[in-house]
Amino acid sequence: MKRMSILLLASLVTAAAAAAAAAGPNDAQIAAIVVTANQVDIDAGKLAASKSHNTEVKGFAERMITDHTGVNKSAAELVTKLKVTPEDNATAQSLKAGGEKNVENLKGLKGAAFDKAYVAHEVAYHQQVLDAMDQVLIPSAQNAELKALLVKVRPAFEAHLAHAKKIEASLAGKS
Amino acid sequence: MAEVSRRGLLLAVAAGLALLCNIGHSTVAKAPGAATHTVVIEGMQFSPTTLTVKVGDKVTWLNRDLFPHTVTADQHRFDSHAIAAGGSWTFTPKKAGVTSYGCTFHPTMRGTLRVQ
Repeated sequence: MKRMSILLLASLVTAAAAAAAAAGPNDAQIAAIVVTANQVDIDAGKLAASKSHNTEVKGFAERMITDHTGVNKSAAELVTKLKVTPEDNATAQSLKAGGEKNVENLKGLKGAAFDKAYVAHEVAYHQQVLDAMDQVLIPSAQNAELKALLVKVRPAFEAHLAHAKKIEASLAGKS
Repeated sequence: MAEVSRRGLLLAVAAGLALLCNIGHSTVAKAPGAATHTVVIEGMQFSPTTLTVKVGDKVTWLNRDLFPHTVTADQHRFDSHAIAAGGSWTFTPKKAGVTSYGCTFHPTMRGTLRVQ
């Protein structure tokens, strides 16, 4: 069930990313996708930071809040500077809907089940965002500074993915 | 050109910090030959990953990422605690040896400080 919803999210994001790639999102749409992608992870992190009792999971969740807030602060400064108004689009909407669904699902879980579901989703989510960055966002970005910001934050998503996978393995070992 | 002047500025800043840090540390050898080294933290990496310095040299870690990092030795020989985005932290090794360090926030980040 949980795996189903992760796969569903993955295919939704991939499909949306593919659709966006075909149409080629403009910079205003890319800005909306970036801000939404970060916000979705901040929201999940806030829930996990308050709900989890596992030190590792809690620490990771707090890191997601801090890091993605830092990225969004820079993204906000950049769009203000470039006078770009983020424009809602199918990819941003699907990320947001997926994030809301994840939070809903997590709210119904507790203890080890919550930790596992949160971390499994973080693994899938960071992988999907990385794929979207590589296949759609970075290649489509027209403004050099916007492209540079995406390139600059990409390693953070990669490191978060590796970190989440490490916690996933350690949680699996405990059960 | 821009890179050169930025590096120059960084060196000047690092040298300034080094001077400030020296004040009040009468036990630290004044060592006129002491050098200042910079490790840049960017893209979730320490660069250079391995740095070799001499006892008494200053090492400044500059955080160019958009969120905090730490510079924490495995055996806690040194620990910067959180270095804010755009911030820096300076350490003067007083003993020779090789120390592996990392960022406590991001376990994938690793570096090595060799002190001769």
